[in-house]
Amino acid sequence: MRILLDKFSKSFGTTSVIEDMNLEVGSGEMLALLGPSGCGKSTTLFAICGIHRPTAGRILFGDRDVTNLPSQERNVGVVFQSYALYPHMTVEENIGFPLTVRRVAASDIKKQVAGIAALVHIDNLLDRKPSQLSGGQQQRVALARALIRRPDVLLLDEPLANLDAKLRLEMRSEIRRLQKETGITAILVTHDQVEAMSMCDRIAIMKSGEIVQVATPSQMYQDPRTAFVAGFLGNPPISFLKGKAAHGAFVSTDGKLQMTLPALSGIADGTALTLGIRPEHFGTAGNVPVEGKVTFAETQGRENLYDVVLPDGSVIRSIQPVRDDVTLGDQVRWGIDSKSAFVFAEDGTRL
Amino acid sequence: MRTSRTLGMVMIAPAAIMIFLFYLMPVVLTAIFAMTNMSTATGISGGAWQVTASAVNRLKTTLPELANGIAEPRFVIDEDGLKELEALKLKPGFATELRAQHIGGVYPSRREAERDIKALKDRPNTREVKQISDIFNRSVLNTRFESRDALMTSLDKLGFKLTPEQQQIVSDATYTGWVWTSENFSTIANSPDMLQILINTGIYVAVTLTLFNVTYALFLAVTTHYMPSNTASVFRAIWLLPRITPVVIYILLWKWMTWDNGFISLFLAQFGVPPKNYLLDSAYNAWFFVILINGFIGASMGMLVFSSAIKAIPQTQFHASEVDGASRWQQIRYIILPQLRWPILFVTCYQTLSLLASFQEIHLSTRGGPGKSTEVWSLAAFHTALNNYTGNLEYGLGAAMALVLVVVGLVLSLIYLRVFRYDTLISKPLIED
Repeated sequence: MRILLDKFSKSFGTTSVIEDMNLEVGSGEMLALLGPSGCGKSTTLFAICGIHRPTAGRILFGDRDVTNLPSQERNVGVVFQSYALYPHMTVEENIGFPLTVRRVAASDIKKQVAGIAALVHIDNLLDRKPSQLSGGQQQRVALARALIRRPDVLLLDEPLANLDAKLRLEMRSEIRRLQKETGITAILVTHDQVEAMSMCDRIAIMKSGEIVQVATPSQMYQDPRTAFVAGFLGNPPISFLKGKAAHGAFVSTDGKLQMTLPALSGIADGTALTLGIRPEHFGTAGNVPVEGKVTFAETQGRENLYDVVLPDGSVIRSIQPVRDDVTLGDQVRWGIDSKSAFVFAEDGTRL
Repeated sequence: MRTSRTLGMVMIAPAAIMIFLFYLMPVVLTAIFAMTNMSTATGISGGAWQVTASAVNRLKTTLPELANGIAEPRFVIDEDGLKELEALKLKPGFATELRAQHIGGVYPSRREAERDIKALKDRPNTREVKQISDIFNRSVLNTRFESRDALMTSLDKLGFKLTPEQQQIVSDATYTGWVWTSENFSTIANSPDMLQILINTGIYVAVTLTLFNVTYALFLAVTTHYMPSNTASVFRAIWLLPRITPVVIYILLWKWMTWDNGFISLFLAQFGVPPKNYLLDSAYNAWFFVILINGFIGASMGMLVFSSAIKAIPQTQFHASEVDGASRWQQIRYIILPQLRWPILFVTCYQTLSLLASFQEIHLSTRGGPGKSTEVWSLAAFHTALNNYTGNLEYGLGAAMALVLVVVGLVLSLIYLRVFRYDTLISKPLIED
């Protein structure tokens, strides 16, 4: 089911958190609300599920206006960051709770719980209490509880934040699998760009209550609209160099680096600019040579990671296939792939 | 060495000493007093042996002959009496002749003694006969003996030859001090008054506890939970007033309301209802107000305990249950109440005991009246042992009643622990020693 936020605003008392936000999530789509903490993404999620009421604007599920409906009547499933399992109920009772409150017959509940528990692989834990489960198991219970009554919308509030690295990886694909299998419209709130990129069809990146860009993960990675988006996506993160425009080229502060970029053709000379270079676009293959000193070197097994300090003090990160001829303190001369470099204006917008 | 265990003992020691002195010792002393017949009449120190009319009555069933004999005056011509007679400086012949002829003579009645005195050679006149016979009167009736031996010696001199068993019977019957006895408990078990008081207590505790201390407190806690926090604070503060008002003033306010010139009467007078004392006019009304008075105090405590317990439930559980489709009522039923099991157990247990033990509100409002209709066990124990209209304070019986209260409290607590399955509520300590 399609979800539409139309000029949605939310404020708490005098503090305005979100203003005039527009967002559409297509039916069956999984969308990530990505942003740093405090940017309003959980507030948006809580408004969609009805825990918070919008201050202004509309929320539509399909064509149905749910703006003023209480959560009970919205048919949404939510997985909370803390899972919010009921500690006094067994796993079975927890998962069956949405059906219990709808007075579904006990035998039906049992059947449905068994089905959904098998789907999330916890059918052997039904008699346990939440306190007897590991984090990953609790997460699955929360997911099963959110899914059991076949919600129109599945909302996930940082569902993987409390899991260890390995489990996080596992649950990432698990959630995606379930979402695809059930064909449910889902919104994932996260501050982890890897999670957002790996799990979702599209990402809406948020900054202080506003959506900066909505795009598919690869589009957003390759074509970020602002420096914030470019900086938020990618691991290891993008490096930024300060400079100025001069004759359709980017010139670094000390003038040693010059790079002609088609995006700068109409820009007045002397405009302050920021150049963004992803680590994979700085290395031996680049066409614009840069000289610097290696101040950090780390191997990640398949790849090596380097920090190169330029003479003016700025740092460019580089990621390259494993090599052992470069060590800490070496002077290197590597190239930047100018076609893949991003250039941003002073206010952060991409040129 | 298990230092944490030793440290724990050291840290708990002050509390343990306090508990021993102020909780355990009173119970032990109560148990000790309960096994005696102490009262104002017996005193709490030792007693004496005294052949009172009632002692004689007690003896009549077991030793009728002795009882009759003891009740009569007895006259014995002995050396003590003769010396006293000599000291009176009557005719010296009286003493000389009595010593020579009648020493050791025992007369069961004054008439027989006086017949021998009249027959003396020196012919005492009637007044002298009276005087002399009085000297030899050795009746034990209403005489106080400081020890058992003194009583027995005296009886022996009077010619009552008693076997050791008979001596014991006489001693028991004439002793005025307190003795060890289990009679208090049979009194409690057999008295219809006590049964009525027990029924009163049961109704009082059960009704106050279920209606107010738990149900109404839960109602207050849940309703204030769903209110905006400022409004909730106002309501909680109002419901705390009965508890924080000094009890005497609190009861006085109730009396002002219920007296025959109080608020209710004045208000109803507007509609032509004649004024009356609503607190004491009938047993039904008295109970109604006694339960309200205690219930309003009890509700606030439960409200505080339950409110904080509800606050301790993570907010996301309420969010989650709303999203899961639970109505307010279902939230209360499935989320709040199950997680309040421990506080409910605590409040039930605590309030049962405090309702059983506290009588100050009833004592100040109805004094157990009208008649004895609102007399509850603890108030009855207080009346029996410490504050009695007739003035004979029966410490022993009162202590026995208090002891019954202790036992009932203990038994009820154990039952509650079983019913609420205490073992499932406590978790193992996180720190191992």
